[in-house]
Amino acid sequence: MVTKNSADVVIVGTGVVGVVIAEQLLDAGHSVLMVEAGPRVSRAEVVENWRNAPLGVKGDTSVAYPPRPWAPHPTGAEKGDDAYLQFTGPDAYDQTFIRYAGGSTWHWAGTSWRLTPEDMRINSLYGVGRDWAFDYDTLEPYYVRTEHKLGICGPSDRTKQWPQTGDRSAPYPMPDLPFSPGEVRFTEVVKTLGYNNIPVSQARNSGMPYDGRPACCANNNCVPVCPVAAKYDAETALHRLEKKGATILVDAVVYKVETNAQNKIEAVSYYDQHKESHRITGKLFVLACNGLENPKLLLMSKDDRNPNGVANSSDQVGRNMMDHPARSFTVTTKDPYWSGIGPVVNSGIMETSQGAFRSEHAGAYFRYNNFARNRFVTFAALKKGLVGKALDEEIRRMTACTADIVAAHEILADPNNRLTLSDKKDWLGLPKPSIHYDVGDYVRKCWEVYSQPIGKKIAEAMGATDVKISPKFNNSKHIMGGTIMGKDAGNSVVDVDCRAHDHENLFIPGGGAMAAGACGNSTITMVALAIKAGDAMVEQMRGA
Amino acid sequence: MTKQSNDPNGKLMMSRRGMLLSGATLLAGSLAASLCPSLSLAAADAGAQSRFMQLSNLLINHQLNPDVGNRIAEAATGQYKNFAGMLDAIIAIAEKKNAAQVEDFFADIPEGELKDFANWVIFAWYSGCSSDKRDAKVFTYEEALTFKTTSDVVTIPSYGISGPNLWTRPNVPLSVPVPRF
Repeated sequence: MVTKNSADVVIVGTGVVGVVIAEQLLDAGHSVLMVEAGPRVSRAEVVENWRNAPLGVKGDTSVAYPPRPWAPHPTGAEKGDDAYLQFTGPDAYDQTFIRYAGGSTWHWAGTSWRLTPEDMRINSLYGVGRDWAFDYDTLEPYYVRTEHKLGICGPSDRTKQWPQTGDRSAPYPMPDLPFSPGEVRFTEVVKTLGYNNIPVSQARNSGMPYDGRPACCANNNCVPVCPVAAKYDAETALHRLEKKGATILVDAVVYKVETNAQNKIEAVSYYDQHKESHRITGKLFVLACNGLENPKLLLMSKDDRNPNGVANSSDQVGRNMMDHPARSFTVTTKDPYWSGIGPVVNSGIMETSQGAFRSEHAGAYFRYNNFARNRFVTFAALKKGLVGKALDEEIRRMTACTADIVAAHEILADPNNRLTLSDKKDWLGLPKPSIHYDVGDYVRKCWEVYSQPIGKKIAEAMGATDVKISPKFNNSKHIMGGTIMGKDAGNSVVDVDCRAHDHENLFIPGGGAMAAGACGNSTITMVALAIKAGDAMVEQMRGA
Repeated sequence: MTKQSNDPNGKLMMSRRGMLLSGATLLAGSLAASLCPSLSLAAADAGAQSRFMQLSNLLINHQLNPDVGNRIAEAATGQYKNFAGMLDAIIAIAEKKNAAQVEDFFADIPEGELKDFANWVIFAWYSGCSSDKRDAKVFTYEEALTFKTTSDVVTIPSYGISGPNLWTRPNVPLSVPVPRF
């Protein structure tokens, strides 16, 4: 039986990781209580927020998802001490995530590259980073289940699938989406350089409805919100979970994970929006509130039995924070590419992420951003002082003939890239996360000798008359590390099922568990790990 | 947009010719208002809004939505102390040149306050906002003119102009003219 203060399974977070696990446990007959720090809103409200935002800040996803005072998340408006995320170290770990029911898949692009077998053995093969605790063949069935659960479309042509190594045990549930004219041209151009721009596998309904959601109709607004839910986001599953019996608490900020004398998890406590504390008990507990909030919560929950924080006997909680450090090439071309037709990310060059060079430097994945360019060029065109026909033609030319090419890099797990608790406090008086972050020489060398030269060659082949390169590494908003997986409880936080080494009834699935993240977006792997953890939880409940 | 325009299909949009002609009528109306103190302040505001639309139609060679114009005019009233005077001054420059389009008189607007204001009005219509800053006032999203210049090729993000997997098409060359709007 589920109540508002007890269930078989208590899940902190209502993002994609928590949602898929909730459904597995519900389907197995267990009661599930989900606890969400932020609000639950309608899709229409999010769309209206975004449409009503000034043109100059539409790139800031937080304008569509303003944080509630009790559940802060990063916004473009807050800097320095006022910002939710506090930074130390040479690079900013400037992530975007939201604390809303449905979590950050609200604003993901839907890009779903699998890891390769080689990505998971980077230490064995190249002598750098950390190997995964299991191999690709172990993960592959969970990738298939993820692709079918979320509705991930992709090509049936094996030569256009990723990865090229390793087997696929089942096809994608939907065909790949068609390329825009700009993507067709880009694909032809990079082919002359020997690169294959392949269709991205993406959680977007291709040519047909899927899972009760409509087909993509090219609204070109996957980020920050798909207005019709053709792109999977976890919000679309919440009603179904409730029909299956789940209880979802919102505006409930979990601030403590409580252990008992056996060092099992006994309860979690949360503050409501009136700062009143409540306690929830259960048999199994899942922390599914992303790679930043999970380690923060664990560190906040230290007690006499766990003086470094819950699940932290290894001292690895909060360490190994990873992302995909990115540099962009904004090119102006002579001939039009016309970005903005179709979904916002629809293809990529992945083969540049692989190779023996990984013993020396990172690999990189190149993508052609397919966002409509008006909002990127309008102000610059207006500043030229043009009027009338000349102004119209200049906006049109700049919209058609500019494009962003992004190189996303592989970063290594480094324990010095670390989340700790800041002395700065949020509205509830809870510590803000503080992150020390350095992209590292492995990434910087790649940029110097590999990815920047490739990017410049691509720009030249595109017929670029001007190339502006971002001056520093930007974050890809792919939060990984923080509760890293391993077989050795001495240097990792969770086991192969994302179960905490220190607490047999605590699961911490998602990006935090990833031991290596390669170059591709992390969500598909996070969900595969969640499904694997869900299976383990169902099995564990049989013996409960 | 929360503030929905009344007429997404453009039925209420005034033609440039109609707007310029009606400007004279409304100018007469506002003159009457000034002679009749009992007339409401709202009527005088309507006159200023109409005058603003007259200016906008001189600065921009396209059909413009009066609802959007009213929002821009309202913001301009607070932003520019000499709003009414600048309207009159720029319109007078255009009339002196018998301007039919912005290219006929824009260069005659003197640099400084008047030129800055004229550029701001164009900025507001094309971007739909009062500035490129975070605290900008938003006058419209979907009717910002920037999107009209490319409406034959790309959608306004969040609005679909295609069907399922139906966006494959030839690349449109730059020689294709800007859509009429």
